[in-house]
Amino acid sequence: MKMVFDSTSQIMRQVIYALVLGIGASYAHFGWGVIIQIILAVLVAITVEASFLAIRKLPIKPSITDGSAVLTGILLALSIPSIAPWWIVVVGVNFAIIFGKQLYGGLGNNPFNPAMLGYAFLLISYPLPMTTWAGEFVNLTQALDVIFNLNPVDALSGATRLDDVKIQLALGKMVSELNIYSSAQMWINIGFLLGGLYLLARRIILWHIPVAFLLGIAISAFLLFAGDSEHYLPMQNHLMLGATMLGAFFIATDPVTASTTPKGRLIYGFLMGVLVVVIRSFGAYPDGIAFAVLLMNMTVSLIDYYTQPKVFGK
Amino acid sequence: MASYSFKGGIYLPNPYPVKDSEVRQVAPPKRVILPLKQRFEDEAQPYVKIGEKVLTGQIIAKTISKHSSYLHASISGVISAIKKYPIPHPSGIEVMCIVIDSDGKDEWIEIQRYNQDFQHYSPEKLIQRIREAGIVGMGGAGFPTHAKINNAQGAHTLIINATECEPGIMCDDALMQHYPREIIRGVEVLLHACGAKQAVIAIEDDKQEALHSLLMYNFNDHIDIVQIPTKYTSGAEKILIKTLFDIEISSGKFASDYGVLCQNVGTVKAIYDAIIDNKPLISRIVTITGSAVQEPRNYEARIGTSFASLVAKSYPNPAPHQIRIGGMMMGIDVANMHYAVYKTTNCMFVNNVVPTPAVQSCIRCGQCNQVCPINLLPQQLFWYAKSKNTNRALDYNLGDCIECRCCDVVCPSHIPLTQYFSFAKALHRKRTIEQQKIDTARERFEFKEFRVKRNKKERAEMMARKKAQLKQEMAQDASKKTKIAQAIARVKNKRDSKDENGV
Repeated sequence: MKMVFDSTSQIMRQVIYALVLGIGASYAHFGWGVIIQIILAVLVAITVEASFLAIRKLPIKPSITDGSAVLTGILLALSIPSIAPWWIVVVGVNFAIIFGKQLYGGLGNNPFNPAMLGYAFLLISYPLPMTTWAGEFVNLTQALDVIFNLNPVDALSGATRLDDVKIQLALGKMVSELNIYSSAQMWINIGFLLGGLYLLARRIILWHIPVAFLLGIAISAFLLFAGDSEHYLPMQNHLMLGATMLGAFFIATDPVTASTTPKGRLIYGFLMGVLVVVIRSFGAYPDGIAFAVLLMNMTVSLIDYYTQPKVFGK
Repeated sequence: MASYSFKGGIYLPNPYPVKDSEVRQVAPPKRVILPLKQRFEDEAQPYVKIGEKVLTGQIIAKTISKHSSYLHASISGVISAIKKYPIPHPSGIEVMCIVIDSDGKDEWIEIQRYNQDFQHYSPEKLIQRIREAGIVGMGGAGFPTHAKINNAQGAHTLIINATECEPGIMCDDALMQHYPREIIRGVEVLLHACGAKQAVIAIEDDKQEALHSLLMYNFNDHIDIVQIPTKYTSGAEKILIKTLFDIEISSGKFASDYGVLCQNVGTVKAIYDAIIDNKPLISRIVTITGSAVQEPRNYEARIGTSFASLVAKSYPNPAPHQIRIGGMMMGIDVANMHYAVYKTTNCMFVNNVVPTPAVQSCIRCGQCNQVCPINLLPQQLFWYAKSKNTNRALDYNLGDCIECRCCDVVCPSHIPLTQYFSFAKALHRKRTIEQQKIDTARERFEFKEFRVKRNKKERAEMMARKKAQLKQEMAQDASKKTKIAQAIARVKNKRDSKDENGV
């Protein structure tokens, strides 16, 4: 095998580069809010990480330059609505970095995916701003206004497709009566998919988790739809709506919190995919990536222990 | 041709290839330092005294232990000291050495020529002669060769390890190019000595010259020469056997348990010298390489020659050096060049001092478990080694780590993983010994408690029994009481009557 990386920072940088297509697609759909949230999240992430390292009397530069805090910030910013007020992202990133990472001992020691921990915290604590999405492209002035002036502009807001479907189904409608297609969401998912393929080609992530995760979603969604096509979304919608591709290639693959054995990665990814569909179909929240990730994070040491590869001569 | 490969391992380029394949003969040095043991074996006993004159090839230390080898004077001269010198070992351990000061003549002992072909000797006799020639595994382990052949009696296959083990070391490559006839003949001797039917010489595919030299001299149907990929850890014995024959030697077992004997190609040449030329092991080929020497080269030097003199011949730059004895992967960093060429030292790296990259946190990326030839999970082992949880690390098969350092090389966080693993292994050994001591002490204490209690109880029981017995006896002998009473009454009566009479 060829050696590809010189350092952990390089891995993190590559992951950030791979996000560019997905970010571009999000920008095209949601507008400037996406970019503002990312900048805000990154600034907060670096500040919090640096201050916490200072409190812990640890060298600041190596940990900041490893890029992990920046990545956490970007992933969280991509998960929250682009028109959420500024304090949402500030609170979320703080929670992610402090409670998700530093309190466990910093990079490499955290059992839970920090970005998803931050997201779950926000979603439970502030459900309204966390589910109010931009319904159309938002320009720079509008975005600054809505994010910093705390003026929820009703005209801008809407629900995501998964949100919408969830509400409509709860109101007793049938899947066949609904518009379950969203070209914008599809493009965003394709953007992240392409970025993920780049990471696979560079061997920065391994194929096991994304493939198993998407298979988990596909198989469980297929079975549900085959059983009751009026109450459950078809497989292709599950794959192309919400944060599916972001989750498959950028969140589920976080090496620190994922299973690390080859067989374990398959189990971890597959069960996570199944959980996503279960939460989307039966849970109270429209999308289930964050909860699925956190639930599976808890099982990692168990999975790793029982899926050790066969050692030479044993 | 079958393609041979194995799981894991890494392709590492040779950082400083030797430009010419020449083996430079080094004149006998003014002084040699000869250790009485290589590594873990028993020490041999000096057979000479300080001040004694010795000839080249003369036995200077003998042994009766099975796991030890003879030692011969590698130059002629006078024994000037028998004292401890450090051997290349991470702990800087010191070993008893014999020092010879040269008389400048390199006078040899008289060498007896054997008139008979080696085929006429019994395997036992050959093994005996290998033992008396002081031959040990020259690939680096230093295990006495006669003991290894003895353990593998009845083997069906002989493997000659000509893989060079690690990039950078080139002494075996040079040896094969220079002594192909001797090596093939040496393999024939070994086949006879161990009784195997076939021999396989495994050579890495980047050594085409050496391969062709061997092919030119191999007319023996029982000897195969096969090429294997130049992938690091291919030279590790168990991995090599797996690569060649798809035999996976169980953890804790040895090649000899599977009817396979593995010998380094340098050892084979030494066996040739011992059996055919009847010369003991007094020299070997070493590679001097590294970023700080202008010309990496192979030298054939007497055992005990100082490394400094060899390095001086390779035009080192004057800057401070980082010195490593053995390969760049599994070698040992040493503080200076005050070491001598031993039977097992195949290489010295003289590198410019470069700053080591900063260690970052483990992000469990799994690069390491993809290159582990043993299929371990170094990322998990690291976690438990760091937290000194040796039991958990052992659950993850810490004991099977061969410390090849493949994981260190690919780790993007530059964690010295192997160091953690050897530390954890040492810690486990220490804890086991301590636990045994604690167990013994506890058992002793518990037994004492038990004994005291038991004695007390037994004593109490005995007393009770005796008392009861006594009581019973008393009860039984009620008649005695009456007899005594009668006697007392009699005496009283007598006295009374006496008194009456007397009054």
